[in-house]
Amino acid sequence: MLHMYLPIAGNSVNVFLILGLGGFVGLLSGIFGVGGGFLMTPLLMMFGIPPTVAAASDSNQIVGASTSGTLAHMRLGNVDIPMGVMLLIGGVAGGTVGVQVIKLLKAMGNADFLIAITYVIMLGGVGGYMFIESLQGLRKAKNIDAETTTKPSTQKSGKKSMLQRLPLQYKFEKSGCEISMLLPLGFGVLVGILAAIMGVGGGFIMVPVMVYLLRMPMHVVVGTSLFQILFTCVNVTVMQAYSNHTVDFVLAVLLLLGSTIGAQVGTAVAKRLKADQLKIMLASLVLVVCVKMTAGLLMTPTIMVALKGGH
Amino acid sequence: MQPKKTMRHLLVGVLAMALIIPALSCSSQAAEEPLLMELASSIIKISTFYDGTTLEVTGSVPEDADVVVQVSGPKHDVHLKEKGKVAGFLWMNKNDVSLENTPAVYMVYTPAGPVKNFLNPELGIGYKALVKDITIEPESADKAFIFAEYVKLMEKSGVYAVNQETVTYGPATDGVKGFSTTLIIPSKMSAGDYTVEAIAVKDGAAMGKTQENLTLELSGLPATISKMAYGSPLLFGFIAVFIALGTGLIIGVIFRGGGGAH
Repeated sequence: MLHMYLPIAGNSVNVFLILGLGGFVGLLSGIFGVGGGFLMTPLLMMFGIPPTVAAASDSNQIVGASTSGTLAHMRLGNVDIPMGVMLLIGGVAGGTVGVQVIKLLKAMGNADFLIAITYVIMLGGVGGYMFIESLQGLRKAKNIDAETTTKPSTQKSGKKSMLQRLPLQYKFEKSGCEISMLLPLGFGVLVGILAAIMGVGGGFIMVPVMVYLLRMPMHVVVGTSLFQILFTCVNVTVMQAYSNHTVDFVLAVLLLLGSTIGAQVGTAVAKRLKADQLKIMLASLVLVVCVKMTAGLLMTPTIMVALKGGH
Repeated sequence: MQPKKTMRHLLVGVLAMALIIPALSCSSQAAEEPLLMELASSIIKISTFYDGTTLEVTGSVPEDADVVVQVSGPKHDVHLKEKGKVAGFLWMNKNDVSLENTPAVYMVYTPAGPVKNFLNPELGIGYKALVKDITIEPESADKAFIFAEYVKLMEKSGVYAVNQETVTYGPATDGVKGFSTTLIIPSKMSAGDYTVEAIAVKDGAAMGKTQENLTLELSGLPATISKMAYGSPLLFGFIAVFIALGTGLIIGVIFRGGGGAH
């Protein structure tokens, strides 16, 4: 089997294995609009790649996959650029806050505990809610035989008047809603903070936020999320390469070749699926990761030490 | 008659002694000197398609001795997180521990044969010998336990290994026998300078040592990339991003053409 040496990771990998891995995660990102870092980083670590290098090289790879995916979704009219920009600005601001929060927590000495707990609760909560909600949606759809069952539930009507009074009202055409620009900005900040604390791109939190809090149509959510992730990962890649020397170019290119193609296939798959089907699949994926993480926390480790990350 | 006989005996004895003594001293010299070792190559190049390699080691030892080969590499301080329970039931990385003066690589190759106990700290061979030179920080930590766990971690990536019964001997001539073994160089063994050491062991004691240097160096594409990543990191970051963007765009365009939608 063909192997290639990864000069930054300091290890060699099977070329076809990494191409396949890239293809699989690219497929997921094309279908669901998530970066897939929450899957890719642990998988790369299983192949002996240091966690910091795995995460940084993965974000470089996501740049390629999300470019490819965004293009494909744009042709289908699934990218709400103004919405994406607002979320992005919020996300970057939130990320900066989140990094400071982490520093504070590390100084207090309980960062690892809080990170793990946040991760599990977010994964479990988001995954569980999406799963139940989309399951109900699918059942209703069977009875009514209509696709648009994800309309706002009763909760929102009370808040509506207050939200409408916020300044900077804007009509987000692709998303089909007229809301204050401050809303996506605020949610962006929230996701940014959480993502920075957990050390992930935040796609799996951003997607539910757009679906449930901003009430955007699922297909537009996927496209807009990819658009937004693209810029986040450009920033992360440059920062990681510059300050930590953790971007392994060989690894990133191998992943990229697989994932850009995967993203195109994923988009084609997503086009054929209904919103609730998409949601229930993403929810299942998030729940699987949640269960795996919980198991890792509860089971006695086979090796009682780990190399300290960072250097 | 009697005195003559004694005289003759004496003469024979002296003559015999004169012959035997140098022969004896010669053989004792032979037993100490001929520990020789040669590496098939002293430089291993890590190029684009490198996936670890093997290295032949050959040499000779006195017929009645054994030889153990060990590879060890740059000593450094290892920073670890010890796992522990948080809130009574969650396993997490908890305490900081450092192992100081720990080799990045440690591999032992012992010979096949009747003698077994080569992994002996008295001989300076094996993990127990290694741990003697290592200090732990904080001192209150359980050094033996932490080091044993660290060894498990390193054995998983192949940079620590005990390969028992892997040194083989050739036929003996003039009190000296040839030996050979194949070193397994894992891809996780990074560029750097290492030493390969042969230790002659007889009756449970080390009776001779010799060592050779082994260098692993990056060449070709890995060398270029590594130089750039550390030398001009900002430029490297931008190039990485542009290549990713470019690939994404190209694939996007190809699929648009191939998709046949328009």
